[in-house]
Amino acid sequence: MSTNKTLLIIEREYMSRVKKKSFIVMTLLGPVIIALFYGLIIYFSIQGVTGTSNKIAVVNDNKTITERLKSTKNTQYEYVSKPIEDMKKSVKTSGYDYILYIPEFPLDKPEGIQLLGEKQAGLSLSGKVSDHIEEMIRNQKLKESGLKQTDLDNLKSSVDISTKKINETGADEDSSAGASTIIAYVAGILMFMFIMLYGIQVMRGVIEEKTSRIIEVMISSVKPFQLMLGKIVGIALVGLTQFVLWIVLTFAISTAVVKIFVSDKDMKQTTMVQNDGSSVSTPAAAQDNPIGDIQKSMANLNVGKIVVVFLFFFIGGYLFYSALYAAIGSAVDNETETQQFMMPVMMPLFLGYALSLSVVTNDPYGSIAFWLSMIPFTSPIAMMVRLPYGVPDWQLALSMFILVAGFIVTVWVASKIYRVGILMYGKKTNFKEMVKWFTYKN
Amino acid sequence: MLSVRNIVKQYASHRALDEVSLEVPEGKIFGLLGPNGAGKTSLIRIITQITGPDSGEVFFNGQRLNANHIAQIGYLPEERGLYKKMEIGEQVLYLAKLKGLSTPEATKRIKYWFEKLEMQDWWNKKVEDLSKGMQQKVQFVATVLHQPELIILDEPFSGFDPVNADIIKNEILELNKKGATFIFSTHRMESVEELCDHIALIHHSKKILDGSVGDIKSTYRSNTYWVEYEGQYNLNQGDPIFAVLDTQQLGNTTRIKIQLRPGQTANQVLIALLPHVSIQRLDEVIPTMNDIFIDKVKNVN
Repeated sequence: MSTNKTLLIIEREYMSRVKKKSFIVMTLLGPVIIALFYGLIIYFSIQGVTGTSNKIAVVNDNKTITERLKSTKNTQYEYVSKPIEDMKKSVKTSGYDYILYIPEFPLDKPEGIQLLGEKQAGLSLSGKVSDHIEEMIRNQKLKESGLKQTDLDNLKSSVDISTKKINETGADEDSSAGASTIIAYVAGILMFMFIMLYGIQVMRGVIEEKTSRIIEVMISSVKPFQLMLGKIVGIALVGLTQFVLWIVLTFAISTAVVKIFVSDKDMKQTTMVQNDGSSVSTPAAAQDNPIGDIQKSMANLNVGKIVVVFLFFFIGGYLFYSALYAAIGSAVDNETETQQFMMPVMMPLFLGYALSLSVVTNDPYGSIAFWLSMIPFTSPIAMMVRLPYGVPDWQLALSMFILVAGFIVTVWVASKIYRVGILMYGKKTNFKEMVKWFTYKN
Repeated sequence: MLSVRNIVKQYASHRALDEVSLEVPEGKIFGLLGPNGAGKTSLIRIITQITGPDSGEVFFNGQRLNANHIAQIGYLPEERGLYKKMEIGEQVLYLAKLKGLSTPEATKRIKYWFEKLEMQDWWNKKVEDLSKGMQQKVQFVATVLHQPELIILDEPFSGFDPVNADIIKNEILELNKKGATFIFSTHRMESVEELCDHIALIHHSKKILDGSVGDIKSTYRSNTYWVEYEGQYNLNQGDPIFAVLDTQQLGNTTRIKIQLRPGQTANQVLIALLPHVSIQRLDEVIPTMNDIFIDKVKNVN
């Protein structure tokens, strides 16, 4: 009968929230926003790869340079024989984006080179062009010193460092510090958001019951502990529902968004680049496309494990904090009074969040990272941040065990404060008072 | 049916209930009276098992109070409310199910009550769309829906307009006729006289008076009467039958308040007066519960 009542409470807490407009809007809008971001990131990184291409007219007045600037994907050089003054006049109508003027200068002292255009050339373009000119001059000098074109080609080599992690069996796994960091950030932020968002919902729910004065009616039917537990579990289910819907919807929408943002040609190009990226032999492609690299190592990260561990630490961390939030909610009459109690509860969460994203991502195996991922106040976030870099199983298990023990303690402590607090009206509460409540006999 | 024995409840430095004992007879309306802060709510919270006593026991129908009795008690707290965002029907259904009713049974009873109190079209309304009086009707229905044997009402009429207060009063009497026992907690004495059969007076955490309303009133009778007459009668302080407490002249009518001397009756007064004056009225001055309440509280202080 008593579990039955708890179920009824869970059902109400769950249904009343899931049916709310704000929940539906957030559930639908969340993935759209995430997908938009994701789509934009992909869009811009592809734009970065293909780039906007600039047509540059080259006016070469330098007789010593016989080498020609080589066009690349983003910068196309065309040599024109008109004098520079004529080109300047016809810059609007000529169809060129920029004019590159190379005056007469000795090879070891290149001076007076100008990049002219209607718009001032951006930093990246001028950088690229000057790289190209440097390369051209170097080639010119090398040729003058007697090297042939084939020798020049042989001199060229691109370098890409691939970071690999050696697993327990001794085989090396593809991994990327970039990918791990991104996943660590995303997981850490999500964990922080979910614990905050839903923990505060528990507090609001308790305060709502107090201010609407239904609490005493409820308490004459059910035990305070059942009510608190029902609320916490009901809201946890709302959080899980939202999380699952977000994942499903995000995948669906981002697939669609990527299709809209990225044309077929671009898609082919990225898949091509990605395919190249997965084979070690073409480092140039990987260098051009960090996303391909990241996606490659994402495939190697154990996504299933990350999701399962995320769910565990979300539930654990949420239970740990929401019980404290419930106790705070029970001790005050309205939300404005929560400030003094919120601080000490929020601080460890913020601290965990800030330290996890700075210290832990920099040194995921260090002792600070270890302790942050053990202490239940910070472990949900810190452990999620550490996980993509690899965490020994015993540490994971220990951290989980401590978290479970931690939330059993906070739920127990909170329930003792809660059962007294919910029946107190119009009294300013402080910590001393709460300690006193804790010692009350039921 | 409810027996409260030597209840003590201590809050840190403040003793809310000090050795309070009560007997609530079955099928009666029991008034729990006392000034604000006397300990009424603390006592009710113990009876409704919201809190436990530090010492003492409560028996419900001869059984020690336990969790199974929750379904047999209906409680309308003074600090009462409803979930603001929930629809009325859904909300009452939820509260009824928490008391152990099945969904179909609860739905049937809610429909019955909503029809009875003319609130059929409230089912899909939200609490925030209802007036305070309407909300109180909903709360009343939620309190009695599971047909509890014992219904505890804490300040039930505060905030009710006279029309709705009357409707609820009649429902209380009807339920009482059908056998429900009521505990009625209030500091407003006038509602007590109309409804209560028994009362207990709590003051400063202690019970200072209890018994049936009739008994209490008769012990507080002071043999005082109002007499109105026309004509002349020589009132002197040495009258062997009564002492005059107050005299008022209203046109030709004289109004006097008298107290009988020991051993005298109202008949003796009439015999003395009749030869001289024409009697228009003779009333015994019966103390109101309010008088008794104030008197008792003052004496204690």
